[in-house]
Amino acid sequence: MRRPARKRLKWGHAFVTVYLAIYLVFVLFPIVWLVLGSLKSRYEALLVPPKLLFRPTFLAFDKILSGGLLHVFGNSLSIGLANVALAMLLGIPAAYGLSRMRGAARDNIAFWILSIRMAPAFGLVIPIYALMRGLHLLDTLPAVIVAHLTINLPLAVWLLLSYFDELPEDMEEAALIDGASRLQALTRVILPLSGPMLVAVALLVFVFSWNEFLFAFILTSSRAQTVPALIASLAGTMNFDWPLMSAISVAALVPAFIVVFLAQRSITEGLTMGAIK
Amino acid sequence: MAFLQRLGRFPASFVLPAVLVLAAIVAFPTVYLLYLSLRHWVIIEPLRYFDGVGNFARVLRSPDFWNSARVTFLYIVSTSMATLVLGMGLALSLNRTFFLRGVVRALVVLPLLIPPIVSGFAWKFLLNREIGVLGSYLLPAIGVKASLLADPHLALFSVVIADMWSRTSFMFLILIAALQSIPAELYEAARIDGASVLQEFRHVTLPLLVPAIVIGLIFRSIEAVNTFDLIYVMTQGGPGTATMTLSIYGWKVAFTSFDIGRGAAIAVMMLIATVVGTTALIRRIRR
Repeated sequence: MRRPARKRLKWGHAFVTVYLAIYLVFVLFPIVWLVLGSLKSRYEALLVPPKLLFRPTFLAFDKILSGGLLHVFGNSLSIGLANVALAMLLGIPAAYGLSRMRGAARDNIAFWILSIRMAPAFGLVIPIYALMRGLHLLDTLPAVIVAHLTINLPLAVWLLLSYFDELPEDMEEAALIDGASRLQALTRVILPLSGPMLVAVALLVFVFSWNEFLFAFILTSSRAQTVPALIASLAGTMNFDWPLMSAISVAALVPAFIVVFLAQRSITEGLTMGAIK
Repeated sequence: MAFLQRLGRFPASFVLPAVLVLAAIVAFPTVYLLYLSLRHWVIIEPLRYFDGVGNFARVLRSPDFWNSARVTFLYIVSTSMATLVLGMGLALSLNRTFFLRGVVRALVVLPLLIPPIVSGFAWKFLLNREIGVLGSYLLPAIGVKASLLADPHLALFSVVIADMWSRTSFMFLILIAALQSIPAELYEAARIDGASVLQEFRHVTLPLLVPAIVIGLIFRSIEAVNTFDLIYVMTQGGPGTATMTLSIYGWKVAFTSFDIGRGAAIAVMMLIATVVGTTALIRRIRR
């Protein structure tokens, strides 16, 4: 028995619309509620049933500025940017070198680098804590930068490696025959072809560093505290200031929004760690 | 340096800096972790000494460890299954063109890029029994009177909801990539044979998605073993030990009881478990 195509389409369409609508409400509700919470006064935030119409106030955001919390955002920003710089500086040549290597050495190194990315952060946080403690580097930015590099350098190498593997070798070979060094071939031939991929990797490295909690939480206490660590420490106190916490959370969402709407397509491979291309 | 020369100048000199850095910040700490797991070292006690497998023995004898292993297992199974089912629905729904599809796709992917600590906080905020809009208002209105995060039986469920919110997009991305690689001719052939939508899914789509589903499930399981932020900010492993997964348990031992040696032993066991999973995964990805 053949069903009329139109009927099938109609049912499929209805299912899709309802399913997506429910899912989008599920996804957006917490975000919208955080934004609303950040614009309420402390009194309004505690009202049950919640007031949907209220006069928005930027008091909570003012508190971030006046309460000396801005340096925490500065820390997260510095750590993220330092990670982008280091992961690119070390990762680009490594990925290029690996992609032009052949044989078992290449496969073993690539395999090792990917396995680092999958290893439990909890396995690294104890020894890194013990080492940083011995070096008197606890609660400093370099400690967190190094810890985040354990996640981000493997990510950068792996993504760039699979990208460089697919670039045709003809053009760089022409450059090499003309007497260019490997470094010149990389900077003048390969990198200009890799713009969008480099941007995608840099964005992902930044976001992973910005979002990371476990290392930042264990390695810092005050001076080098990052945004996620601050949110967790405020969430653990008895006297909740919901508007302030919501405001900090909303500010912490900014990179996610920028990345997802500017570069959604190009970061997909990085988000799934090479499981798909 | 004969070794370097044998490797040849070009690839080695490019690859070596990153490998050396990773050796220093990953390989060395991993070896150091093994060493720490064999030592008695409690930060607040002056005595440190070699303890053999003493830490492992004490961990394996502790009921808290076995409870955490059980909670972790429940957590892995429920979050993997939940994200698989929801992600499958999303992938099937978004595997066609429609108005504003790009925007919808971006919104679906968004939670994956949000700091898990914020996702956890947002759900804690929503589910709070006193002031959360769900916990204090909407859920009681439909007859759910319990405080989700304070109830030992419901706390893990609440954490899984937040995890689902945060991670379903991961499953979605893996599944939609696999869906889009299924040739359209297969569907046309099924249609000509008069297959219903369900038959088409059961006999065409699903068999071709199996490899992606397996990869997604292994990935999600490894990720679930490692989840720390979300649970920490929502419940810190409580109430009691109801949401105490292995990473929360290990953190408590190492950083609130300051027993570095025993924490390291827990980490070593987690490392072994994930290495097994990772090896299986990488084999599959490389095919």
